[in-house]
Amino acid sequence: MSGVKRFASRLLQLVFVLWAVATILFLIFRLMPGSPLAAYIDPTFTEEQQRILMARFGLDRPLFEQYLIYLWNLLHGDLGESFFYRQPVGERVLMLLPNTLVLSLFSIILAYMIGVVGGAYLAWKRGSFVEGATIPFVLTTRAMPEFWLGMVLLAVFSFSLGWFPAGGMRTAGSEYPSLLALYTSGDFWRHLFLPALTLAIYFHGLPLLLMRSNMLDVMSEDFVTMARIKGLSNWTIVVRHAARNALLPVATSLAIAIGYQMQGSVVVETVFSWPGLGRELVRAVSASDYPLAQGAFLLIAVVVILMNLLADLLYGLLDPRISHA
Amino acid sequence: MRNLFKATTAFGLALSVAGPVFAAGDEIREITIFSRPQAAQPSEFQFVQLIAQEWRRLGLDVNVEIMPWEQMADIVWYNRDDWDTTGWQMVGRPERSDPDELIFNLFHTTTAPTGYNFIGYENPEYDAIVEAQRTETDIDARRDLIHRAQAILAEDQPNLMLAHPQSTFAYDNTVWDPDSVIDQGGIGIRNTWTFINLEPLGDQRDVVLNSTDNVQGINPLWISGGTDSWITELIWDRLLRIGPDGLPQPWAAESYEWLDDSTVEVVLRDGMTWHDGEPVTVEDVVFSFEAAMGDEAPMYSPFVSNIADIEIVDDSTVQFHLNAPSAAFLTASLSKLNLIPQHIWEPVLDDLATRDEENAEDYQEEIPIGSGPFRFSSWLTNEEVVLEANADHFSAPNVDRWILRIVPNTEASLGMLRSGEINFLSDYPGDPNILIEIAGEDGDLEVVSTVDMGFRYVAFNHRRPPFSDPAFRQALSMAINRDLIVGAAFRGFAVPSNSVISPALAFWHNDDVDEFETGVEVAQAILAEAGYEVIDGRLHYPEGVSETLGE
Repeated sequence: MSGVKRFASRLLQLVFVLWAVATILFLIFRLMPGSPLAAYIDPTFTEEQQRILMARFGLDRPLFEQYLIYLWNLLHGDLGESFFYRQPVGERVLMLLPNTLVLSLFSIILAYMIGVVGGAYLAWKRGSFVEGATIPFVLTTRAMPEFWLGMVLLAVFSFSLGWFPAGGMRTAGSEYPSLLALYTSGDFWRHLFLPALTLAIYFHGLPLLLMRSNMLDVMSEDFVTMARIKGLSNWTIVVRHAARNALLPVATSLAIAIGYQMQGSVVVETVFSWPGLGRELVRAVSASDYPLAQGAFLLIAVVVILMNLLADLLYGLLDPRISHA
Repeated sequence: MRNLFKATTAFGLALSVAGPVFAAGDEIREITIFSRPQAAQPSEFQFVQLIAQEWRRLGLDVNVEIMPWEQMADIVWYNRDDWDTTGWQMVGRPERSDPDELIFNLFHTTTAPTGYNFIGYENPEYDAIVEAQRTETDIDARRDLIHRAQAILAEDQPNLMLAHPQSTFAYDNTVWDPDSVIDQGGIGIRNTWTFINLEPLGDQRDVVLNSTDNVQGINPLWISGGTDSWITELIWDRLLRIGPDGLPQPWAAESYEWLDDSTVEVVLRDGMTWHDGEPVTVEDVVFSFEAAMGDEAPMYSPFVSNIADIEIVDDSTVQFHLNAPSAAFLTASLSKLNLIPQHIWEPVLDDLATRDEENAEDYQEEIPIGSGPFRFSSWLTNEEVVLEANADHFSAPNVDRWILRIVPNTEASLGMLRSGEINFLSDYPGDPNILIEIAGEDGDLEVVSTVDMGFRYVAFNHRRPPFSDPAFRQALSMAINRDLIVGAAFRGFAVPSNSVISPALAFWHNDDVDEFETGVEVAQAILAEAGYEVIDGRLHYPEGVSETLGE
């Protein structure tokens, strides 16, 4: 199959997946117990006033009709209006997305730096005491709930030592002319560090274990044996030959990792009062704010799906041995 | 067939009269009590368990059902025939300092079908009294009526009243002068008076506070979340404001006067300006009330429905003509409506009037303009809202800025209070004992607990027997030791309650209803008196009463 054709079929699959996600989201929130009215309409409202509101949000129509309107609006890029904030959902989620992305990206970079170097090192030290002690430790951090880890880091580095602020994205009342000015300020990085570290600790196990096992595979290949015969130093073999080759799958897993990281942000953003999409999602679900919850979920799903596609394409590009059939 | 049926019934009746063995009515079905989950509402979860335990000792089969608020509200509010009892709460709001809202809306027959009387309480004598207090403008005569209403409720026990919780807040006493903090009765120290009055002791002149919930909107014509109201109260003035003593006092109005029992004359304070520099006029005042009387601000319309007409007398005086005499008008209307600038809102409302789908609640001013003691500075979504002091205001604040941080993590907000990231803990849903412990370690923190005008209770559904029987409700209520509940479920941070009018509202609260005996024996005596019987450990209805709601 030619590259173009393959790409087109991938795109088609993507559209199908998006439709499926959008449909499931629509149904899930409507199957939840309770009426959205209970969550945010003041019960002092008269019946007439409640009826008007139901009509305004389209909740008085049959489910299937609501679904068609929802799909039609989606096709036009319209995510609807938030019940809770009375504001267009698209506007709101796009405003919060950069905050989540910057946290995700920084924590992934951190996780991969720790993971790749650590994985290579452990492969090099195969069978040593260091490896024996580290692997269980890594697996433990993988199993720790993020909110717990976040609270522990808060208690130690913020409450006790006072090195970092306890939450938020900037000092109270500080002003920045632009988002870029904020993201490049020292104040922002001080606030970013603990939530990013929480996510990085939680996440570094994947690149670390992947890197290590790839390294072990590569180390047993002929060209490494050849290098040994040539009398190259252990360091040169590990870094110049083995690590370079082992890095390939790790690099492509990065794209998928970004998707997962978005999910991790749901918890971490609440613990660290980070004004991102994940925290908004939690609030929207608990308030039965269907349009906002759908919009936030959908945006996260789009990022995950796009990253998966990227990983797929990247893999084929980086390693032509992968068959396209 | 029909005759046969009659005959057997007659025979059966004769038998039951003759034989004293089965004199009791049917066994009472399993009754259900709702609670929200422990994670969301720890005190409610705790008191519902305790209450269910006591009720079981009376011979009732009690089923505790745990569900999230959305689901609970949906059943209790919208399916009024489908529940037995539920944990519930009313929160304190400044306008509830007038007893009318609670004493009328919660129990008057007219609000039973769709309004606040979701328990379906009906008592014509009570209805007459609460109607009379509405139109009684002599305050002492009105207090007598309010006291009588509370006495009737104590007798009928429409609900199982439990406790008025205390609101607990804290601040850094090295930053703020403790003498400048004002404790508003029934509300606590987080109130407009405190924010205006706060006196900085050092260089920190910004009051930085926290909210666990996001800000929904900053809009003078939309009653949105609780947090939002802290902001609207600071940006917009009202003609009157509820004072720290719970009674309305002149604010943007220099004075007010009842000309007769349905006419109030208000004199506007001289020299007020909007935050954009325009003068505040009587036309603006009339416009503000008429905006709420129109279709575009539905949440405010109940507060102005009694206004027949507003008349401009001269350029500082207006008269409100009411449809009916109303004692609560000062609190519920004049202290409630935000004054808004006509030059900004008139074009907006005219435009909204052309669109069916939208009203003023959908309109968010980019820079909200009021005339209040603080002016809007910035709002970062889900991060913070910054207001700055309005030095031109007749009651200008001492602080420079008022900064509200959104902190969903309660433990983190405690950490922030200690580190100085915030200096006023204005929202603390956690355990007050932890806060007091932390304040002890820190040394610089002042913790203040205030009895709330809100309350926690268990609602009985009067539509469903046996809850329609006052004796049964009384027994279930008397079975519960309030002091035990306060200690166990509220960790001591509450006062026992037997009235919807909190002791925090000292003027209106009826002290006579506070003392009553509790205990399982008391409850058993009431039940026996009313003819209920325990057979094989299960409580049965009085003779001749059958269970109509069993499965």
